[in-house]
Amino acid sequence: MERSSGHKIRLGIFVILGTIIFVSAIYLIGQRQEMFRKTYLIEAYFQNINGLQKGNNVRYSGIDIGTINDIVMVNDTSIRVIMRIDEKIISHLKTNAIATIGSDGLVGNMILNIVPGKGDARMIQDGDTIETFSKIGADDILSTLGASSENAAILTSDLLKITDAMINGEGTLALFLNDTTMSKDIKKSVNNLKNASYSATRSLNELNNIISNFTTNQNSVLGVLLNDSISGQKLKSVAVNLEKSSTEIDTMLSRINKVVSDIETGEGAINYLVHDTTLVYSLRQTIENVNEGTAKFNENMDALKNNFLLRGYFKKQERQLKKEERKANKDKE
Amino acid sequence: MNSFSFKLKTFFLEIGELSLFAGRFFKELFKRPFEYSEFLRQCYLVGNKSIVLVGLTGFIIGLVLTLQTRPTLAEFGAVSWMPSMVGISIVREIGPMITALVCAGKIGSGIGAELGSMRVTEQIDAMEVSGTNPFKFLVVTRILAVTMMLPILIIFGDAIALYGSYIIENLKGNVSFQLFFNQVFDALEFGDILPATIKSFFFGFAIGLVGCFKGYFCKKGTAGVGKAANSAVVYTSILLFILDFIAVFVADIFYEL
Repeated sequence: MERSSGHKIRLGIFVILGTIIFVSAIYLIGQRQEMFRKTYLIEAYFQNINGLQKGNNVRYSGIDIGTINDIVMVNDTSIRVIMRIDEKIISHLKTNAIATIGSDGLVGNMILNIVPGKGDARMIQDGDTIETFSKIGADDILSTLGASSENAAILTSDLLKITDAMINGEGTLALFLNDTTMSKDIKKSVNNLKNASYSATRSLNELNNIISNFTTNQNSVLGVLLNDSISGQKLKSVAVNLEKSSTEIDTMLSRINKVVSDIETGEGAINYLVHDTTLVYSLRQTIENVNEGTAKFNENMDALKNNFLLRGYFKKQERQLKKEERKANKDKE
Repeated sequence: MNSFSFKLKTFFLEIGELSLFAGRFFKELFKRPFEYSEFLRQCYLVGNKSIVLVGLTGFIIGLVLTLQTRPTLAEFGAVSWMPSMVGISIVREIGPMITALVCAGKIGSGIGAELGSMRVTEQIDAMEVSGTNPFKFLVVTRILAVTMMLPILIIFGDAIALYGSYIIENLKGNVSFQLFFNQVFDALEFGDILPATIKSFFFGFAIGLVGCFKGYFCKKGTAGVGKAANSAVVYTSILLFILDFIAVFVADIFYEL
């Protein structure tokens, strides 16, 4: 039963070595986690994998179906991602499925999501390649956010300038905001406007009344004009008469015209009178001669008065005139 | 250099002897007759006598772990994850390890000292003379008792530790009993509890084996008893860590699957 110490030492070494080999075997198994399962390899090509790493989960419609097996840079714009998919799930995958890279939570690990494609397609097989779709990564969102915030900064600085100017009283808007007299003026204007509109309405009312009076009251001129049918008839006859008169006037005027044209064309005495200038001259001569004659005649008559034969007659005439005058004065009294 | 090779030699010798001892245990385990009453008595001594110690350490571990983790989680605004975090860490690792170490101190040293003193006072030799198999009566029952009792102690310790954690959460974060344990059991999976429980059987086996080995092969004299008890605890603790390492390694593979 008792064993030699050499035997025991060998046993001890064997146990230690066995433990070490066991642990390292477990480690090697742990490296290839899916060793005990049948899996399929599927490929997808991405431009940007957003920090996806080997061993990240692959999800199909939210179910974990495998892990990322390898990530290979193919060329400067495409990266081949090889994923190891569980055999049980692979029978549900079609070739038109789409792979996207997402994040598991806000700060979580990256995951590869496979979304079923639309329509019908062939079932996927080992080594197949599926389509990819690059979602906007968080970095891109952040960069666009950065641009937006810059724009916002510019906007706010401009706004600041505007508000500063307003506060300092520059520009029309500032006047609106700061000038108290202006506001009073505006208030006054508004009041005036109010009054004006009030009186306007009143005027309109009055106008309305007047118009209604016109239509109803038959005593006023307009009323008569508007309402009296008899007067209207008379007026019509007047107008007819006027028309007649005007035609008569017209004919008369045409006749006058004819007369005048006759005169002008030199027929009749008047034309002679109008146009003959020598006649005027001879007439003047004649009148001068007549003047001369009458002046001489006056002398003759004066001489005749003073003639004794005729003096008595003129005296008798004077007395008669005085008598009549006295008689007129007596009647007045 | 000479002393180093000598130390290496004694180390391998020790390992070899322990392995032989373990082999003998498995050989004797399936041999009739079974010492039922002695096994049950050992179970009572190992399990029942350790319950207060395990409960107390578990409670304090739960308390302290929660208190220490809380500020960090509060910094991330993740205090609501506290129950699941504490639950998983206690059930998976801290509970089994702390309980096993405490038991190594109490049970391992106890067995080492008891068997050592029996060896020193030549009671074991007397048993052999009287026709009783001392290995079967003393060693097999004790190792089996510790192997069976330690998982139960560990589960008990886990429960007490979670309760301690709940007390802190309730005091600091106003988390109700129901909410706390709902969250703990939501977070826990079968894959968390099963490896921890399987692991604890190995822990129990290691404690019993090393304690019995050290006591059974105790050197003569009163100093030998003390040395046996002391080295039982030291070797057990080392072995526990190595076992834990391997167990986690293996469990990790199955957990990933």
